[in-house]
Amino acid sequence: MHILIVEDDETAREFLAKALREAGHKVDTAGDGIEGLHQATSHAPEVIIVDRMLPKLDGLALISSLRATGHKTPVLILSALGEVDDRITGLRAGGDDYLTKPYHLSELLARVDALARRGQALGGEVVTKLKVADLELDRMTRRVTRAGHKIELTAREFQLLEYLMRHSGQVVTRTMLLEGVWDYHFDPQTNVIDVHISRLRHAIDKDFGKALLHTVRGAGYSLREEE
Amino acid sequence: MSGERGFASVLGTSRFRIAIVYSLVFSLGTALLLSIVYLAVSNVVDSGTDNLIEAEVQGLREQYRVLSRDDFIELIEQRSQAQDVRGAVYLMIDPQNRPIAGNMPQWPQSGESSGKWLEFQMWVPFGDQTRAHEVRARRFVLPGGYRMLVGHDVQERHDVKNLMLRGLVIAVLLTLLLGLGGGFWMGRRILAQAGAVSAVAQQIMRGDLSQRLPVHDSDDEIDRLARDINGMLDRIEQLTLGMRTVLDSAAHDLRTPLNRLQSRAEAGMAAVPSASPAHQVLEQVSVEVDRMRGTLDALLRIALAETGTVAREPVDLSNLVQSVAELYGPLSEERGIAFEQRIDPAVTVQGNRQLLAQALANLLDNAIKFCCADGRVRIVLDRLADGNEVSIADTGPGIAADKRELVLGRRVRLDEARSLPGSGLGLSLVAAVAKLHGAKLTLGDAHPGLIVTIKFPA
Repeated sequence: MHILIVEDDETAREFLAKALREAGHKVDTAGDGIEGLHQATSHAPEVIIVDRMLPKLDGLALISSLRATGHKTPVLILSALGEVDDRITGLRAGGDDYLTKPYHLSELLARVDALARRGQALGGEVVTKLKVADLELDRMTRRVTRAGHKIELTAREFQLLEYLMRHSGQVVTRTMLLEGVWDYHFDPQTNVIDVHISRLRHAIDKDFGKALLHTVRGAGYSLREEE
Repeated sequence: MSGERGFASVLGTSRFRIAIVYSLVFSLGTALLLSIVYLAVSNVVDSGTDNLIEAEVQGLREQYRVLSRDDFIELIEQRSQAQDVRGAVYLMIDPQNRPIAGNMPQWPQSGESSGKWLEFQMWVPFGDQTRAHEVRARRFVLPGGYRMLVGHDVQERHDVKNLMLRGLVIAVLLTLLLGLGGGFWMGRRILAQAGAVSAVAQQIMRGDLSQRLPVHDSDDEIDRLARDINGMLDRIEQLTLGMRTVLDSAAHDLRTPLNRLQSRAEAGMAAVPSASPAHQVLEQVSVEVDRMRGTLDALLRIALAETGTVAREPVDLSNLVQSVAELYGPLSEERGIAFEQRIDPAVTVQGNRQLLAQALANLLDNAIKFCCADGRVRIVLDRLADGNEVSIADTGPGIAADKRELVLGRRVRLDEARSLPGSGLGLSLVAAVAKLHGAKLTLGDAHPGLIVTIKFPA
């Protein structure tokens, strides 16, 4: 994947670039907003990571100009500010996701993956049926089956499964689930998500031979058919 | 703009109440003044007539003595003819009660008499009809068994007195009405002005500090007050923006090095074997960074909530409480703690959804953390007449009454809780969020356990 990092803190930028390259991505970097905007429009990256506060051209202004010129490239905003209001202003300016510093590399990688897939899906038709191995979910009838057997889920479990299936094959972090399923943007003191995952796992995996919902150590969860 | 604010609220204004008092005082004054005038005038008019009659009686007595009866009768007839019917009234009757002279058909049958004075009604022609006139008269006996009545038509006097009385009542009512009307108008005016002030104040409380009170060119006391308040708002906005700037730079200056530290630790971990002591050290560094981040996040959110500048919008509280309960319910049950919820539907508050959600999550987190096994956690949303109330109760050890105030302060962890995870900022954040929403936070005894209540104003 081709990723552009626009970040003025050199240390953070270099570490991030190195980690992303090691994860197999092609990485461009820019140290200020003007340079970042130039690269974003001329190099056509698949995902852009933009720091909120940049010299010359502010991160949010960069995103606004990018959107104003018709570029739909997914943008992840990195912010060293607070997050209650700033997240909203960031997303309103045209950002697609928002991550507060300091972040874990695994969290950032998972979000970049999710954004890249969203970028590919842009313009595509709305999918009503999701399928991973023999697990099927119908968003219209709100019906879930595994190997043809109907599985009863609560409304929230359904949403959780839908989110995991839409990101199947990717790592999904607890924070992403809390944001994507509950729309909460804070870290709970206790890992409440784990309990919900274990309930969901009980419903979809327990009576079937092959487990689909996997725990990824130090990162989160992944719904996938393991070869 | 306050026309819709209703009749009742106008009546409640201080200006209207002052107007009522003043119009009552003025009405009383008017009544008193006019009554005095009325009494004086009627006294003068009454005694004037009475004197006139007395003089006439005196004169006739003397005439009777010097004139022959026929001449006297002639005199009576002359006087009766000479006078207008509405004026003097005469009647002379013989011992058999037969009228002999005068302009009255017969001796009055009825009428009030007080001493020598007699008051009765007499029918007099009035155009084609007749009408009753009040007559005040004196009667006296003449030598020879003849009786005489001399009176005066006082209908006009009555009419004037009645007119004055009616005028008095109308004047008092008019004064009262004008006072009330003026008071109502002034009340509406002050309500409109106060309404403008409170509309702006509410917007400011919602976090929009750029709002200012409208200032007109009248330079009255309300205008001057508005200018002073606007000056105060300028100052508050300046201070708050300054505080936000300080917060933002503090956040930036702490998050940036923490981020570098985290990146270095993660890069280091990737470079060394995962079982090596170096890896373990770096992992601990990463854990500490997480903890610092947690504390920093909480502190920044508390500070942000305390600046009061966080954006607020209508939040479906029923929905939010439901969703937080849903998030924590399974955790509670997994730990063997019964989880109960009772949520009144369709409760909305003006607020920040994220901060409210975190406050509720912190409370549920605490309740579950401190509740003993086999205990119970209960979350309730009540729609009350005077506001909306969320309460979260557990059956844990609770907090002693004298320590409840203490735990709401920043970073207080009671000794009993030192072994449990958490930054100790959970309740402080709840307190700051409650304050931001104008809600009242109370800690109480759930018998056994702790009950935390957040009461939102209606």
